[in-house]
Amino acid sequence: MSSLVGFLSLVFAIGINFYLFLSRYIFKFQKQKFNLFIRFSSLLTLLSFFSLMYAYVVSDFSNYNVFQNSHSNKPLIYKISGTWGNHEGSMLLWLCILSIFSFFFSFTKNIEDNFQKLTLIIQAFLHILFGLFIVFTSNPFLVNSILVNEGLGLNPILQDPGLAVHPPILYAGYVGYSIVFSIAIAGLFQNTDDEWIYVAKKWSLISWTFLTGGIALGSYWAYYELGWGGWWFWDPVENISLMPWIAGLALVHSLMMVRGEQVIKKWIVFLSILCFSLSVFGTFLVRSGILTSVHSFAADASRGIFILLIFFIVTGFGFLVFLLKEPKKSNALNLLFINKVSALVINNILMIIATLTILLGTIYPIIIEVLYNKRISVGGPYFNSTVIPIMIPGFLLMSIAPILSWQTNKINNSKKYVLAFIILSVLVILQSYFLDFNTWGFVGLLLGFWIILASIIAIFSSYKFKINIKFFKIINPHVAHIGVGIAIIGITCSSVFQNELDFNLNEGDKFNVNGKTVLFEKIETTNETNFQSLRGKFLFDIEKNQSKEIEAGKNYYPVSKMITSEAGILHQWNKDIYFILGDQKNNEWFVKVLINPFVSFIWLGVIIMMYSGLIAVSRR
Amino acid sequence: MNRIFILTPLIVLLIICIFSLVYLLSGKDPNKPPSALLNKDVPIFESSSLYNAKDIIKTKDLKNKKILINFFASWCSPCKIEHPLFFEIRKKYPELYLLGFNHKDPTSDAKKYLKDDGNPYDFVGVDSDGLIALEFGVFGLPETYLINEDGKIIYKFMGPITMDILKNEIEPLL
Repeated sequence: MSSLVGFLSLVFAIGINFYLFLSRYIFKFQKQKFNLFIRFSSLLTLLSFFSLMYAYVVSDFSNYNVFQNSHSNKPLIYKISGTWGNHEGSMLLWLCILSIFSFFFSFTKNIEDNFQKLTLIIQAFLHILFGLFIVFTSNPFLVNSILVNEGLGLNPILQDPGLAVHPPILYAGYVGYSIVFSIAIAGLFQNTDDEWIYVAKKWSLISWTFLTGGIALGSYWAYYELGWGGWWFWDPVENISLMPWIAGLALVHSLMMVRGEQVIKKWIVFLSILCFSLSVFGTFLVRSGILTSVHSFAADASRGIFILLIFFIVTGFGFLVFLLKEPKKSNALNLLFINKVSALVINNILMIIATLTILLGTIYPIIIEVLYNKRISVGGPYFNSTVIPIMIPGFLLMSIAPILSWQTNKINNSKKYVLAFIILSVLVILQSYFLDFNTWGFVGLLLGFWIILASIIAIFSSYKFKINIKFFKIINPHVAHIGVGIAIIGITCSSVFQNELDFNLNEGDKFNVNGKTVLFEKIETTNETNFQSLRGKFLFDIEKNQSKEIEAGKNYYPVSKMITSEAGILHQWNKDIYFILGDQKNNEWFVKVLINPFVSFIWLGVIIMMYSGLIAVSRR
Repeated sequence: MNRIFILTPLIVLLIICIFSLVYLLSGKDPNKPPSALLNKDVPIFESSSLYNAKDIIKTKDLKNKKILINFFASWCSPCKIEHPLFFEIRKKYPELYLLGFNHKDPTSDAKKYLKDDGNPYDFVGVDSDGLIALEFGVFGLPETYLINEDGKIIYKFMGPITMDILKNEIEPLL
């Protein structure tokens, strides 16, 4: 029953969007009526999504999708997250978020009526494309042809609270760019005043913030669930999310330029189209199963071709409009040797090069296999040695960019910065000299600290310190950059200065980690509702009274016959001690301990970036 | 000059789409990596029969006949899907030796499965610890291998075989 409701409302919503799309040519609507229709179709899409969720919650196995991906023994939260833990459901979530964005956009004030309408018509067009994709190739409301009273279960690796919320947040980022795309295209068609740029800025900041959160959640999940001790693997799916993120960052920065005298309209439009194209391209790569990664979904050529077609239509349409309806000539740029505009231009160029480098690395295996029928894989070494060096000049620049002047060539207080940089370099050199020297470690630490220090100097020398909202809005760009600096320090330390220790242990053995004695207390197996757990219990630092307990082990999920590893992590502010329980051999357990310094800085940096993303939304 | 700059994204788009399309249409699937064992000798193994622990099959028993090896388990639902096809193969190619490996399965479950759905295999070997699957490089169940008279692996398929695959890929080799 719920499946029928879901399917009908899905189809009905697509119908309404089709009607709205035609309204540009045939039926003319009042603005009020038009917006009502948009909102109604959004509610229908939501209804469709919630009926699928309902089917999951009550374990309605007459729905084929529920049968394939759920099990009645699962805890409620994973029944809910099971809704989007599979291909069909996650595409419905995609569509649902698309229509939520349209819904909120229909309430935007202070933009021209026709402009708003055109933007929403483009949204309706996107809704139709993805809606048809769901109905024809990925229908989550199919009826199960056999009568069963139990489902096949959700992939255990997805049964995790972090991962339950990761897809919706990530999708909010991806799909949010659809609004930016529609705004940019509408802007090309209508050539109105530059008011739309402010609107676009708000939406691109929202999308970017969500995307940041989604990526961070995903890599945090990879950090503690995959049990490899790292948090970023240059997995194709990670690359796919990183591309729109970097392009989106370039977009947000370009939109800032509007605050100055010049408007680089053409460039902004280009980036807006690019961001959404990369999002759709990412969806294509993941959903077609064309690349193997930790996100393995059932591959299906017809789905792949359909979504490739959507990608081609959307991107082709976007860039074609861009080609034919080029924005009017904007003023010439005032590119002095070093002012704010030139810094932003350099930063944009670097980010686009980085995006293209990642794009090349990601699709290279496809091209090689088509041309030479050879299977290759492009991984960490390529990306680390190309993307990071490209970004370094950008990082150097970002510490001072916010305080550069819009017009002149002058940096206020330049002596202070030079002095600070010299002192900092000496300190970092000393640090590297006394501890083990590593080029990347040196560069990373210097950059990270330099960004933080320069931003702090800029805050205190350029603005009067006050505690009120206005002050926090003014210093917001600096705060964002401090977040980046902190994240860079975390990234550098955790990757360059990681320490790995291997042990073969019996229960009751004591061993030494980082000068602290650790007791391998015992192995414990328990039966949980939907899995069996095997845990090694460790007591860290037993010489002290408040020794900390760490549990590392594995879960066995009988329904899907899968084993997942569960790392035991002791979080300290300056390091994570990461325990992985390996296999048992000759009564001895293999235990791997990783010491990851300053990992918490990465998450802290990301949280700061997201905070300033949100603050920037409220700032005009 | 400016025009070229604006045209670039469209050209790049076209290139990406063409390559992706060719890739998709070529029926390549990254989930089916080419087997390193193709055209190599069958790995050395030893396995006892599901029904009689004393009945043992070894690599050298496989010489001088064509053999189809299938890894299956009672808990593997795609195996259930392909199962009836083995009866077809049995009927059509009586000389072909069908060797099933029961992968990581309790004996009772495996016996029940073959009782309920029928047993098409000439020999059902037990691979309870999955070591034989490891030797063959089994990626996921079910997996099917074709061995020629010289004891070389000439074909490998991951996932349930279908009528199409049987007709177009396996039969020409028989």
